[in-house]
Amino acid sequence: MPRRLLASALLALALALTGLLAVGHGQSLTGEYKIGVLEPLTGPLAFEGKRHLEGYEIMRDMINERGGVMGRKLVFAVGDATDPTAAASEANRLITREGVKILTGTYSSTLCGAASEAAARHNVIYWESSCVDPRFTRRGLKTVFRTEIDGTGFGWYNIEFVAKHLAPRFGLKPNQLKIAFLSEDSSYGQGVTEAARQRAKGEFGMQEVAAEYYAFASTNDFTPIIVKLKQLNPDVVHHIARGNDAVLFWRQSREQSFLFKALVHAYGSPDFGKALGAEGNGPFALLEPGPGFRLEALRPEGQRLEREFRETVQKKTGSYPLGGHQLAAGGLWVLKVVLDQARTDELDKFRATVMAMDLPVGSLINGWGVKFAENGQNANERVQHYMLQWQGGQLVTVWPEEFSTLRAKWIPLGSWDQRK
Amino acid sequence: MDPARLLGPAQIDALAQLGVSTILLGGIYALIAVGLTLIFGIMRVVNFAHGEFLMLGMYLAFWSFTLYGLDPYFVLFVSIPLFFLVGLLTYALVMRGVITASHNAQIFTTVGLSTALQNVALVAWTGDFRFVRPWHSSVVLRIAGTAFNLAQVVAFAIAVALTVALFAFMKWTHTGRVMRATAQDRDAATLMGIATDRVYRLTWAIGIACVGAAGVLVAPLYSVYPTAGLQFVLLSYVVVVLGGLGDMVGALLGSLIVAAVEVVGSYFFGTAWKEVLYFVLFIAVLVFRPAGLFGQRGAEMLGA
Repeated sequence: MPRRLLASALLALALALTGLLAVGHGQSLTGEYKIGVLEPLTGPLAFEGKRHLEGYEIMRDMINERGGVMGRKLVFAVGDATDPTAAASEANRLITREGVKILTGTYSSTLCGAASEAAARHNVIYWESSCVDPRFTRRGLKTVFRTEIDGTGFGWYNIEFVAKHLAPRFGLKPNQLKIAFLSEDSSYGQGVTEAARQRAKGEFGMQEVAAEYYAFASTNDFTPIIVKLKQLNPDVVHHIARGNDAVLFWRQSREQSFLFKALVHAYGSPDFGKALGAEGNGPFALLEPGPGFRLEALRPEGQRLEREFRETVQKKTGSYPLGGHQLAAGGLWVLKVVLDQARTDELDKFRATVMAMDLPVGSLINGWGVKFAENGQNANERVQHYMLQWQGGQLVTVWPEEFSTLRAKWIPLGSWDQRK
Repeated sequence: MDPARLLGPAQIDALAQLGVSTILLGGIYALIAVGLTLIFGIMRVVNFAHGEFLMLGMYLAFWSFTLYGLDPYFVLFVSIPLFFLVGLLTYALVMRGVITASHNAQIFTTVGLSTALQNVALVAWTGDFRFVRPWHSSVVLRIAGTAFNLAQVVAFAIAVALTVALFAFMKWTHTGRVMRATAQDRDAATLMGIATDRVYRLTWAIGIACVGAAGVLVAPLYSVYPTAGLQFVLLSYVVVVLGGLGDMVGALLGSLIVAAVEVVGSYFFGTAWKEVLYFVLFIAVLVFRPAGLFGQRGAEMLGA
């Protein structure tokens, strides 16, 4: 008898545990829901494309642990968008062969235009999480949506930081600042730079001393530009870099003892810190939040989501989330919220749900909020961005100050050997 | 004229710096182009995988520095025989089959080899940017208002030495003479008892050894990543065409011209113009002097 009792007790315990586990897993998922993911996984953009895909995968698993999308398990069909032609043909393949109704991606501004046009021809939703080409949402397409700000938003934030944070710390009025613009010549670089130029001159009356574009993949020597800029003596250099060019320009500026008060270079890849260490101290980059980010500044639901996301990334990669992770994951989470509300991927209903969404800053991962415009673009002021600074080979969050525990250093930048 | 451009001491320094930059950048281009011009000149093969062998050289420098702490200038001596072997191997496996085929087949083969090597590097070492930073990589030399990097000076010196050595080898050794003979007329060379296959194998291996060594030397200056070669390879074709196919000294002078166009064009017209400028030069040379600025007339027709 006691033995049978023991057995039933064990059985009861086992059942209870299974029940607990089931509760822990959220509701059970019935069936799968497949979306297409396009990223450059081979070729020159692969290093960032893979990071974005990793961000998508981490968020997909997190979503599936939290009820999936529309009660179904979220799965991916992945396409390799190595260049614009491949992006369009892979978009076609995912739509016609894999039967997806929603595509998401695509790290680079050179890719999202071609891929989303292919999707639009099939009336398939294109949910962009990271390309910033302003033209993406200016083509009158009803099928495109972008969770990240566009290039004009980057320019807007950069000049905001220069005029409202740097200028007072230099003891200058914004219209006394001399600013030089330097940028790689892709649609990304041009979009950001032109928006920044417009705001700097139009709104703050800053003095533009130069505006130079270069091809990032074939510029092997920045000395001629540096020699020219040195003579123009700018206070601030606004440099939109893309890869190797960020490191090369900085290193050669040091060689040429080119002095300026601050540099905003929009380059957030960890290789800058790895390549230069403390020699790279000083430049700013407008990004998603990094070390020093004050979670308490977010709303309670945003805090919880951000904390869980970081823990998952930490578990998977052993490090703090990188920009690619944050953009892809942040965008995919918004897609989940929309799909759960709309309960369909049918375009009109989906679109109506997106347009009706209204979440304040601090509600989501990265401290973002949501308010889409008719053209499918999430609003600049909702997609909160942060200024990070390279300090000792690391990027740390320094602005807006209410979101950070750390502060910007070396303002103005001293001579090259005094930035320790 | 812009008043800031009037000639004062600061402007003289600026011009001096542009001159120095031209020479040093030209040195890097020459280093990369010399192997290409050799293969181009003797074998009449346009090696589209040239940039990828450069990339492999850069990775060799990166891994030996990261794993074993070896200085790139030491690795240089290892890289030459190593890449010579890589050259022999790729010749036997890939080039030998297409050496007598049409130019189209050769182009497709080397383009295929290029893409394959890029993607092997991507799979094996990921797409991350890597850096080789030995102690001397941040040494800046300052002479009379100009500043430059030590690694660039070393690259320039070795480029000149390599050019002179290859020039002498081609001109005064028996093997060099045999190579030139093969370039001029493969059939006649065969009739004279020259084993042309061996000549091609040797040419290819020397060319690859040169570009491998170049990769090791430029690694401290630039980022190392799977498509690093693309950054230079288009320029190398311009250099080779300017200098004349297969002309070592022409390649050195061609490199300096391309670098001068790039540096001076960037300074006076803006960086966006530099590629327009040197490709206009490239087309002009092809139209008016198809054998290259320094090449022998008719050289472009040889072996066609």
